[in-house]
Amino acid sequence: MSDKKIKDVMVGIFEYPHIPYWFSLDQAMRIIKVSFISTKKYPEPLAMLVFDEKYNLLGTLTLRDILRGLEPRFMRTPTEKAQVVEEDETALSLVWDSLFAKESRDLAKKQVSEVMTPAKFFVEPTDPLTKAAYMMIHNNLILLPVLENKKKFVGLVRMIEIFDELSEAILKE
Amino acid sequence: MEELIQREDHQKLYVQLLDIIKKKIETREWDVGFQIPTEEDLCKTYGVSRATVRSAIAELVREGYLFRQQGKGTFVKQVVSDKLVMLTNFRELMLEPGVEFSTEVRVQTTMMPIGTIGNLLNISLDKHIIYIKRITVVEGKPVIIQEIHIPLHIGPDLLHENVTVNSLFGLFKKYKIEITRVRNYFGITFLSAEEARAFNLTEGSPTLLLNQLFFLGETPIMYIRSVKRHDSFGFAIEFKKSSMDERRFYVKR
Repeated sequence: MSDKKIKDVMVGIFEYPHIPYWFSLDQAMRIIKVSFISTKKYPEPLAMLVFDEKYNLLGTLTLRDILRGLEPRFMRTPTEKAQVVEEDETALSLVWDSLFAKESRDLAKKQVSEVMTPAKFFVEPTDPLTKAAYMMIHNNLILLPVLENKKKFVGLVRMIEIFDELSEAILKE
Repeated sequence: MEELIQREDHQKLYVQLLDIIKKKIETREWDVGFQIPTEEDLCKTYGVSRATVRSAIAELVREGYLFRQQGKGTFVKQVVSDKLVMLTNFRELMLEPGVEFSTEVRVQTTMMPIGTIGNLLNISLDKHIIYIKRITVVEGKPVIIQEIHIPLHIGPDLLHENVTVNSLFGLFKKYKIEITRVRNYFGITFLSAEEARAFNLTEGSPTLLLNQLFFLGETPIMYIRSVKRHDSFGFAIEFKKSSMDERRFYVKR
């Protein structure tokens, strides 16, 4: 295993669009389109960073979070789900399709803070890469903020770089 | 010849239309008091949907370029000053001389330009901006709400500066960013729900609006939108043209 630390593989925070928590999902979608899709830049993951009024990181917002935010309400809670006759996933997706025009457009008005992945887990620049891998595996994350002295947000570490380094170490042996 | 909407352009259609109309107002092709064409005519002329026309008009009303008169139509608003070099800072501009005030910084963060901000600052929509929102308080009452937008690359350190005590102009000086020109638009607008809450007034109340675009040479480097409560404070402006004819407006209720 190389001696590389988080600081050697992390990327700058401005690689990702910043948005405040009060932006709506449709504003976030527009930013994703402008920043990534129309420029044909597809960094893995396509995500945005969500901040509070004083520029503290609150969370990350991925395409998955946005799509989840657009899902009709009844598809999310078990009690309401019972109202649907067919519960298999294909049928549910068809119900969503019939509701898309109406409900998902309304849902796109809600704030990104409601659907983002809260930033609960961090790594330090001097941490080993395996720590980031561990946190990603156990918390289902593909992007981790890097904080200096538990406070200053200095970068981001992505699964792709962690994977690249760890796989490299294994394959060259 | 009419300027056309570029459909292949990624910029939103309403922003393009808004720019076209703004240009007509700024060049006085549509002068003060001019009744702008109906929504239907604009749809036909520019080949856009009614929703696009409505969004553009709504934004121009919000920015103080146009006003609507129920049952009559939409008109170009009186612009008190245009392209004048401002000698005073905003507080001197919007507060009576000698008034004691304090400043609360509600927001100081970065974001992506939304709405017309990218266009105003002439930056691509995937570039970050610094967004600051300050409230000026006089005798315990919020009087001015200011929203400040600065492209991040102009002065990234401004993001971490204390803008409660330091003036933006002082900070620009510190970073050797020289403001060479200011374009001011004064007008009346209507309070948004959020602004009304901050002022403890009713949504839709008329309010004084000042839009300022600051330039370094030909590059826009800061856009400030300020709204000032109308119900208890005066409005003082002092500015100078590039020549020496100085004018002073002072209005007090």
